[in-house]
Amino acid sequence: MTRQEILTELKKVIAPYTTNKEMLANINEDTDLIRDLKINSANLVDIIIDAEAQYNIEIDYDVADKMMNVGTCIDVISERLK
Amino acid sequence: MISTGNDIISLNAINVARTKQPRFYSKILSGNERSLYDEPQFTAIPFEIFVWLLWSIKESAYKFLKRIDQKLIFTPVKFEVTQLEIPAGFSIINFGQHETEGIDFADGSALKGTIAIGTYKLYSRSLIYKQLILSVVDDNKNFDTTCWGIKSISSTAPDTQSAAVRGFLLNRLQNALGFKDITINKNPDGIPVLLQASKDTGIPVSLSHHDCVIAYCFKLANQD
Repeated sequence: MTRQEILTELKKVIAPYTTNKEMLANINEDTDLIRDLKINSANLVDIIIDAEAQYNIEIDYDVADKMMNVGTCIDVISERLK
Repeated sequence: MISTGNDIISLNAINVARTKQPRFYSKILSGNERSLYDEPQFTAIPFEIFVWLLWSIKESAYKFLKRIDQKLIFTPVKFEVTQLEIPAGFSIINFGQHETEGIDFADGSALKGTIAIGTYKLYSRSLIYKQLILSVVDDNKNFDTTCWGIKSISSTAPDTQSAAVRGFLLNRLQNALGFKDITINKNPDGIPVLLQASKDTGIPVSLSHHDCVIAYCFKLANQD
């Protein structure tokens, strides 16, 4: 998958956890999950679990702790897809 | 260290079935913490509440340390709750009020915890109600200058929650403690800073919101 394809799928994973739909529609690799998308930190594990299911991968929290913005999320997912 | 950290969890907003799944809680709890739950004292606490209790302690510890180490990354399983003490006769009761505020946790209803993060050792106090969990963390076992507040609000919109928790904290500081001309800003690391006449007061504050509940804490001074 290309980074753009991962980003498109990632939007679907994130969508249930943000009320900032306008920002979600315009996310880029610098978008911060908590600061920009107003995602509550209590939902970060949900996003990891949903991403695991979406991409059929496993994400350890050792790696997941880097998933604070869209770009690093794509880095982690792309690495796991190799 | 002059810092503080808190976290609030709305138990109405958690996914109970998902929380009980190993693939979920294994991203929050260490092996030792899963063993901790086997202690007889925890029969009064459902497993899903135990998981979110530990999450709130860890998140509070992260907020406490983030003020000191801006490069710190939150890895829940590496923030290990090594001890957790439940008060005698503990039971989970209704929040039953619109808001509550206090200093210290002297009425004996709080759970007392110890958290290890690398070489750091921190202490926690947690309140559990049927609707919510509040945790506050310090590097001192003594919480008698730690002020805290919990409030239910009607909106779940993040911006409204954020404004509400700031207003809740400022009211306490102005009305109960006599502070004037105070505001709360966030520094570039996202840490809240209490300003008086636009100057940093040096008083550490922590803010939290989740679903329809908000909470603050601040520490006036170290006693030891």
